[in-house]
Amino acid sequence: MSASQSAVRSRAEAVKVSRTFDWLICFTLFFVVLGGYHVHFMLVAGDWDFWVDWKDRRLWVTVLPIMAITFPAAVQAVLWWRYRIAFGATLCVMGLLFGEWVNRYFNFWGWTYFPINFVFPSQLIPGAIVLDVILMMSGSMQLTAVLGGLAFGLLFYPSNWPVIAPLHQPVEYNGMVMTLADLTGYHYIRTGMPEYIRMVEKGTLRTFGKDVAPVSAFFSGFVSIIVYVLWHFFGRWFGSTAFTTAS
Amino acid sequence: MAATTESVKADAAEAPLLNKRNLIFAVAIYCVFYAWVRWYEGVYGWSAGLDSFAPEFETYWMNFLYIEFVLEVSTAGILWGYLWKSRDRKVMSITPREELRRHFHHWVWLVAYGVAIYFGASYFTEQDGTWHQTIVRDTDFTPSHVIEFYLSYPVYIITGGGAFLYAKTRLPTYQQGNSIQYMVATVGPFMILPNVGLNEWGHTFWFMEELFVAPLHYGFVFFGWSALGVLGVVNIEVAALAKLLKKDLA
Repeated sequence: MSASQSAVRSRAEAVKVSRTFDWLICFTLFFVVLGGYHVHFMLVAGDWDFWVDWKDRRLWVTVLPIMAITFPAAVQAVLWWRYRIAFGATLCVMGLLFGEWVNRYFNFWGWTYFPINFVFPSQLIPGAIVLDVILMMSGSMQLTAVLGGLAFGLLFYPSNWPVIAPLHQPVEYNGMVMTLADLTGYHYIRTGMPEYIRMVEKGTLRTFGKDVAPVSAFFSGFVSIIVYVLWHFFGRWFGSTAFTTAS
Repeated sequence: MAATTESVKADAAEAPLLNKRNLIFAVAIYCVFYAWVRWYEGVYGWSAGLDSFAPEFETYWMNFLYIEFVLEVSTAGILWGYLWKSRDRKVMSITPREELRRHFHHWVWLVAYGVAIYFGASYFTEQDGTWHQTIVRDTDFTPSHVIEFYLSYPVYIITGGGAFLYAKTRLPTYQQGNSIQYMVATVGPFMILPNVGLNEWGHTFWFMEELFVAPLHYGFVFFGWSALGVLGVVNIEVAALAKLLKKDLA
């Protein structure tokens, strides 16, 4: 091709071509990132996200933000650092939630008949917005990692509180005290995942009473900071434009 | 005046830069096909898919598996073979306008790859969670696996391979070697399929409950990360398009 020739015939056509590519890129990025992020998330944190009776005050609060901050950090590393687009984290999380909601509706409910209020996904959007806003306002990876990562962990439980609170109400059933979520789980038997492998409220932190969730969230925020930094550099690597040498 | 008229006529006769019909068809074909697949699962999952020793399991699920194996191998062979056989041997001498048109066509491939990845890695993979946590498996070829591993994964592999081959055989941008991130974005998700071997070996060696976060599944996670290679492809494409447009769009 000629090095001086343009492929378009006018500035108006150039603008139109550019905008069309923007849409094609957004669509593709949304769905490819969704696919990778969802397969990652469901296999490192999925069980806590699938079922209401796994959404406890300790492991759910700890594990999910740590595993969820990965792809947002990587995508921000390209969208912000190359293009100054400030919605990388929100784009990832919206993609993940799209994939999860479609699945919970058509498959968890539509194929295996679990009620939606037993299988709804966890809420991650507030943390992602904060992550994006901190990066946009500060322009600093370090500040986003430290403040954003910590906020991502700390905000997770409050973001989910309005929907999870009614299901954490205590009930007495056959002389046992349990939560409404536990009780729902006992009634909706998942034969392939028996009760003894459910990982909830492990350890002795629950003896601290009301402090379980804040302590877990704080720990989650701490690890999220480290994971953010790590995945920022993964993102930079994935964004590289290097070619192998042609023979 | 005459020259202008000729130029306008040439523009009208020229193929559009983006063939929207191809784009809509590419997205629609996956959606319609997978809607039919989901209907099939809904009808024959419960009625014929619970006991792999039952004759109806052979009829509705094993035969489905055999048919999809044949169709996938032949589709990949024909499609990839066609793309390679019809490659442009003078790719470095095409006009900038033709190159731009091919970039658009390449993005139709990438959009199709996005849709295929979504159905494979997101829709049918999480669906596998609810099926296997509800139904105890007595075979590697469960209704969920027949669709997830042996249909939706090969479909996105075939699509990704097609996108890569299109870029490699028709776009000057990709003639300087192989883009590392393009290979990561296509070969990585492909590796999820061989990793099924580890998964099934593990599920049969240990009589496992269906815990989705079990370390046995981490191979899928590792290769799932490679979808992020699409970021590198976007960066390469943006640079190539900026060079082609040569206009200040601000």
